[in-house]
Amino acid sequence: MKELFQYVPGQSLLHRLNPVTKLILTIMICAAAFITSSVFFLLGLLAVDLAIGLIAGVARKTLGILRGLMKIAVFLFVLQVLLSRQGTPVFWIITDRGLLTAATVVLRLVVVCMPLALVLAVTRVSDLSNALVQVLHVPYKYAFTLTTAIRFIPQFLEEMSDIMEAQTARGIAFDQARGLKKLGMMLPLCAPLLISSVRRTDQTAAAAEIRGFSLRTSASAFRRYPFHLEDALVLGFCVLLIAASILL
Amino acid sequence: MIDIQSFSFTYKNEAEPALRDVSISVPEGGFLGIIGPAGAGKTTLARAVCGIIPHHYPGDYYGRISVGGLDPVEASLTDLSRLVGLVFQDVDSQIISTMVEDEILYGLENFGIPHAEIPERIRLALAQAGIADLQDRTVASLSGGQRQKVAIASILALRPRVLVLDEPTGELDPVSSRQVFSLLKQLRKEHGVTVIVIEQKIMLLCEFAEQLAVLDHGAVLRQGPTREVLAHAEELLALGVNCPRVTTLSRLLSRRLGRELPVCVNLEEAEETARRLMT
Repeated sequence: MKELFQYVPGQSLLHRLNPVTKLILTIMICAAAFITSSVFFLLGLLAVDLAIGLIAGVARKTLGILRGLMKIAVFLFVLQVLLSRQGTPVFWIITDRGLLTAATVVLRLVVVCMPLALVLAVTRVSDLSNALVQVLHVPYKYAFTLTTAIRFIPQFLEEMSDIMEAQTARGIAFDQARGLKKLGMMLPLCAPLLISSVRRTDQTAAAAEIRGFSLRTSASAFRRYPFHLEDALVLGFCVLLIAASILL
Repeated sequence: MIDIQSFSFTYKNEAEPALRDVSISVPEGGFLGIIGPAGAGKTTLARAVCGIIPHHYPGDYYGRISVGGLDPVEASLTDLSRLVGLVFQDVDSQIISTMVEDEILYGLENFGIPHAEIPERIRLALAQAGIADLQDRTVASLSGGQRQKVAIASILALRPRVLVLDEPTGELDPVSSRQVFSLLKQLRKEHGVTVIVIEQKIMLLCEFAEQLAVLDHGAVLRQGPTREVLAHAEELLALGVNCPRVTTLSRLLSRRLGRELPVCVNLEEAEETARRLMT
C-alpha cells in the first residue's frame, strides 16, 4: 500500500513521455472503458494496462496493483451475479446476462483503476503538477494540492502505523484481530490521525509560504515540458482507442 | 541584524502567552543559541523571527521585532523569507516534494533564481548537507536523519542572510550533528550569515554559539555570551537544562576546592584547567 503511489525512477518510454500525455492516456483508457460494453474490448484494454506496466519496467508493481484490485473485483463480481435478475438461468439464481454484466463491471473497474497508479509510478509528482501549470495552465494552487495529497499518502500511512504501534505497546492486540473486528479497533485511531494531519498540513502550508509559494508562476519551473514525436504517437494511439471503443 | 524588543505573543485561543517580554538582539554574523525546557517558547521565537508569526499563526502580538531592517508584521512573508531561512523542528511537515531534488528546487524556482545557476546551487546545497548521493531518491525512502539533511539543504540552497534552525540535529547522529554546526560556522565566517539555533545538544551548541539565551515559561531567564550564561549552571540545572559535562565538572571542582576556576565550555579548556591544577 505504501508503495502504491510511489515514483519508480527509470528511463523507459513511459518515463520520458510528457506528463500531460500520460495523463491524457490515462483519461482516454478510462473513457474507452466506459464507452465500450464489449467484454473482449475490455480485456484488450486490460492488456494495454499490463503492457504499459511492462514497458515502464514496473511489472512487479503492476501485478501487485492487479492483485490488490482482485479482492475488490471478486467481491463485486459475486454481488453483481447474485443481484442480477435478467437473462436465462444457468445455475441456481445465476443467469447468463448476470454473469456477462458482472464481468463487464468488474473488468471496467480494474481497467479504470490501473492506469493512474501506473502513471504515478513513472512520473514525478512535481513534473505532473509543473506540466499541468505550464502546458494546461491549471492554477498552481490546484496543482500544489495534488502534489501535497500524493506526498502525504506515505506520510499518513507511516503515522497510522506509529499510532497503532503506540496502542499495541499499551496492550491493544491489533495483530490478533482480523477483518471487521480489526477495522473496529482501528476506527478510534482516526481522531488522533486527523488531528495530527491537520496540524501537519498547516505547518506544510507555512513551509511552502516561506519558500515563495505565492511568487510561483507558470514560468517558475526549472524543467520544461515540450512535446516530442513519441507523445504524438501515444496521442494518436489514444484517438484509435476511443474510435475502437465506439465502433466495437 | 535581529533586534527583538519587549516582544510578547499569545496564540489565538490560548490563555497563557507563549512568549513574554522577550528582548534579544543578534548582530550580523552572530551566532545565538537558544536553550530551555520543552514548552518554553523556543519554537514560537523562531517562528516570530521568520514572520510565520503573525502571518500564519494569528494571536496577540506586542512589542517590536526587526530583522535586517524589516518588521515581520508589516513586511510580507515572502519578502521576509528572502532574508530569513527557517528549518522546522518537524522535518516531515517542512518537506513538500516527493523527490529530494525537487525539494531543493522548490524554493529556487519560486524565488526566480536564474535557471543557469540552479544546478550548481542544488549540487552545492546537497554537498554542504552531506547528501550529494541522495539527489535522485524519493523522500519516502529516506531515514529520519537523511530527511533532516534534505530539509537543511533546501534552506541552504536559498542562501538566506539569516538562518534559523529549530532543533536541526534532532534526528542526526553525533558525527552529522557536528557537521551541521561546522557548516554553520563556515557560513558565518565566509558569508556573514547570522545564525540562530534552538538545540538540545547543549555541549555542541556551547562550543559553537557566541551567545546563549535561556528561555523558561516564555521569558528570557538569562542571556549573554555563552561563557557567562554557563557560569550560572545551577540555575540551568534547576530548569532541567543540562550543561556541558566539562562545565559541570569545572563547577564541581571549584566548589570542592573552594576556589574560583574559569568556566570551561570545551574539552581543551577543561584539560588546560586540570593541567594548571595539577602543577
